[in-house]
Amino acid sequence: MIKIEKRNDVPMALYFFTPFIAIVLTILGGGIIFYILGFNPIEALKFYFITPISNLYGFSELLLKATPLCLIAIGLSFCFKSNNWNIGAEGQLTFGAIVGGGVALLFYNQEGFYILPLVIIAGAIGGMFFAIIPAILKTYFNTNEILVSLMLVYVSKLLLDYLVVGPWSNPEGFNFPETRQFSDSSRMPLLFEGLRIHAGIFLALGAVMLSWFILYKTYLGFQIKVSGLSLKTAKYAGFKGKTMILVVFMISGACAGLAGVGEITGPIGQLHRMISPDYGFTAIIVAFLGRLNPFGIIFASLVVALTYLGAETAQIFLQIPKYTGQVFQGMILFFLLASDYLLFFKVKILNLKKNELRH
Amino acid sequence: MATDLRISNISKIYPGCIANDNVSLQFKSGKIYALLGENGAGKSTLVKILSGVVSPDNGEVFLNEKNLKLSSPLDAKKNKIGMVFQHFNLFETLSVFENLSIDATENNKSLRVRINEILKKYNFSIDLDVPVLNLSAGQKQKVEIIRCLLRSPKVLIMDEPTSVLTEQETEELFISLKKFCDEGILIIYITHKLKEVLSLCDEVAVMRKGKVVSVSQTQNERVETLANKMVGQKLAKIKKKINISKNKDEIFKVKHLNFYSDDPFETNLVNLNFSVKKGECLGIAGISGNGQNELFQILSGEIITPDTSIIFRNKEIAKLNPKQRREYFMAFSPEDRISQAAVPELKIYENVALNNFKSSNFFEKGLVNEKKIKEHSKKILSDFSVNTDNVELKSQFLSGGNLQKLILGRELITAPELLICYNPTWGLDVGAINYIHETLIKINDQEKSTILISTDTEELLKLSDRIAVIYKGKLSKIMPSEEVTPEKLGVLMGGGSID
Repeated sequence: MIKIEKRNDVPMALYFFTPFIAIVLTILGGGIIFYILGFNPIEALKFYFITPISNLYGFSELLLKATPLCLIAIGLSFCFKSNNWNIGAEGQLTFGAIVGGGVALLFYNQEGFYILPLVIIAGAIGGMFFAIIPAILKTYFNTNEILVSLMLVYVSKLLLDYLVVGPWSNPEGFNFPETRQFSDSSRMPLLFEGLRIHAGIFLALGAVMLSWFILYKTYLGFQIKVSGLSLKTAKYAGFKGKTMILVVFMISGACAGLAGVGEITGPIGQLHRMISPDYGFTAIIVAFLGRLNPFGIIFASLVVALTYLGAETAQIFLQIPKYTGQVFQGMILFFLLASDYLLFFKVKILNLKKNELRH
Repeated sequence: MATDLRISNISKIYPGCIANDNVSLQFKSGKIYALLGENGAGKSTLVKILSGVVSPDNGEVFLNEKNLKLSSPLDAKKNKIGMVFQHFNLFETLSVFENLSIDATENNKSLRVRINEILKKYNFSIDLDVPVLNLSAGQKQKVEIIRCLLRSPKVLIMDEPTSVLTEQETEELFISLKKFCDEGILIIYITHKLKEVLSLCDEVAVMRKGKVVSVSQTQNERVETLANKMVGQKLAKIKKKINISKNKDEIFKVKHLNFYSDDPFETNLVNLNFSVKKGECLGIAGISGNGQNELFQILSGEIITPDTSIIFRNKEIAKLNPKQRREYFMAFSPEDRISQAAVPELKIYENVALNNFKSSNFFEKGLVNEKKIKEHSKKILSDFSVNTDNVELKSQFLSGGNLQKLILGRELITAPELLICYNPTWGLDVGAINYIHETLIKINDQEKSTILISTDTEELLKLSDRIAVIYKGKLSKIMPSEEVTPEKLGVLMGGGSID
C-alpha cells in the first residue's frame, strides 16, 4: 500500500533549489522528445538553448522577451501571495495596450517629450481598470476571480480585434488589420544601435525593486503575507480584506498593462491583432518558477524567455513548429509542480505483510 | 440471529494524550446502547476504531466471537458494521439515487427496488431523483442510514446524530432507531445529550478521559446522576478568591446578540444578554458545537451582527472590526492556535506583529518597524517564560504550551481591560495549563476582566467568578460560581434544566 504523508520540516534552501531541478528535468525531457522525433538530441538542444543567445543580438532578444514576462510575473506575485488567483494578465496586458495605444494614436503626427510618459501611464491605468473588474466582482458579489479574469481575456482580445479592423485601422493601410505607426515620440528609446532591447527593461527592474520593498518592508506586504498563509488569521487580526484584494489586483493589472505598453511602444510600434504571444499566461509559470520572489522572478523570466527564442531557432534550423516552446513551458510547470509535491510530501510504501502480522 | 459485539482492552495513545485507556465493553442486539462523554473523553476514537478509520495500539474487537481485523472502513463494511457520522459524506450535486449507487454492487434496477422497499418499510419519504443539496439535514441523514441498511448491517453506530436535527426530525429518528433495534440490529448511540440517553437508550456507558467510568441500565439513572459521572467529581480545590462585589462597574455589556446562519453546521445564537464587571471572570461553559465558535467571533468582531449592542467602557463597539476593538483595549485568544491565533510558517516576531494596535508603532507610515517589533517580542518571550529567546524562530517549532504562552503574552502585554479567550488550555500539558491558569487569575487580580469560553468544566470552576452555560445557541442564567456544582453544570450542558 502507498501512503502519502506531509513532511513537517522543509528546508528553505531546498525550496529555492527545486526550480533548478525542474529546469534540468525539462531539458532532459526535451532531449527525449527530440530523440523520439528523430533528431540528434544534443544538437537539437544546442539549437534550442545555446544558439539563440550565442551572439549579442540574440542576447538582446532574450532580454526583450524577458521584460514583459518579468513585469507581469511581478504583478501576479502580489495576487498569488495573497491567495487571489488572477489568471487574466493576458487580458490586462491587452487592455493596457489598447488604452496606451489609443493615447499614442492621438499623438500620431506630433512630437514631444511628454508623449511617451502619457502613453505609459495610460497603459498602466488601462491594465489596472481591467484587473479591478474581477476584484470588485469577487469582493462584493462573491464571484470566482479565476473564471472572471480568464473570461475577460477574450473580451479584451475581441475588443482589440474590433478596433484594429474598424475605427482605429490605418486609413492608408490597404485594409490590413492594424493601426497607424506610432510617432517616434511614443516609442521606447532603444538602448543600443541595431538591437531591439529598449528602455522598457528599466520599468521591469524598477518593478522588481519596488515589489521587493512593498512585499518585505511595508504593512501592506505583511498583510499580503499573512492573508496568503491563513485567511482565518488575517480576519482575526482585523485586516481589511476587501481593500487588500482590490489593491493587489490593481498592482497586478498595472504591471500587465505596462508590459502591454512596453510591447507596442517597443518592438511593435503600432496596434495589431498579435501584440502578445500569450505573455500573460506564460508569466504565471514565471511567477511560480521564481517562487513568487522578486529576484527569483528575474531569473525565471530569463529561462522562460529562452524557450520562446529556442522555439524560433528550432523552427528555422530543424523545421519543427515553434509551438514546441509551449511544450517546454508546459514541461517546466509540470516538473516544478511534481518536485514541489515531493518536497512537501513523502511517499511511503507500507509493507502489508508486516501490517497483517500486527493484528 | 443475535449479534454480540465485544471490545476487549482497547488502547489508543496519541502523542501527548491517551485517547482510549484499556477500554472493554460488551453489546448485545435487541438493545440500544449509549456511549456518553464530554469532548475529548475518547468516544470518537473508540468509534473510529470500530469503523476501521483508526487502528488501535492494543486490544481486540470481537463480533459473535470472531476476532475482527479492522484496518480500513471497507473491513468494517464487510463485517456488517454500519456507521453514520455527524458530518455527512454525500455528494451535494448528485441525486439521492446516484449517491446510493456509488458503492453498490448490484445493478441499478434491483438497487432501486431494494431502496423503495426500505423507504416503504420505515416510512421514509425521500424523492430519490432530487439532488442531495435540496434535502433537509434530517433527510440527508436518512440517506446515510439507507446506505447502511442496504448492506443489512448487524451493528449500526450513530455519532452525535441529533446535533443538526430539529426536534421533529429527532423524534422521527428515534422511532426509526427503535424499529431497527426490534429487528435485531445492534445500535450504539454516541452523544453528550443526557435527555436523549434516558428517552432512547437501554444501557449507557460513560467515558471520561479515555476510560470507561461506568456501565449501567438507564432506568436506574437520572439526568443528575449521569451528569455527575460525565463531568467527574475530582475537582481541583485551588480556587481563586472570588472577586465579585456588587458595586463594581460593568465594563462590558452585550444586548440582543442574535446570529442566524444558513450553514447547518453553524449554530444560531438566540438573544444572548450578559455583562462583565471590572476585575471579574465570566465563564461560559458548554459542550463544543453549541455556539461557542460563533459567540467568540462576534465578541472579537470577526462576525458583525446587525441589531446587536455591545457596550465596552461606555462606548458602542458592535460595528467595529477586531483591529478597531483592540484600540479600546480588548484582547482575544481564539481556540485555534495553529491556524487562527498564529501562523506556524511565520517567525515569532511576525506573529507578534499580528496584534497591531495604535500605540505599538509596529508599522509607521505603512512601513514595517522591525526593530520595534523585535524588541517588543523579546519582552514577551521573557515576561511570559516562553522557552526561547530567538524572535527569528519560526513559530512551528514551538510546542503547544509555548505557542499559547506567546499568544497570551502578545495579547496581554498591552494591559487590556478585557481578555476574551476560548479554550486557552486545550491540548496542553499540566505544566503549561497551570501557568496559563495562574496568568488568567493574575489578570483578574489586577482589576482587569476576562471572558472564559471553555469546554473544560474543571477549568471554569477554578477560574470563573460567575458561570453561564451555552446550549444550542442559548445562554442559561448566569450563576455565581460558588453556587455552581459540577452536577448542575453537567445537567445544563446536556440540555436539562435546574430548579
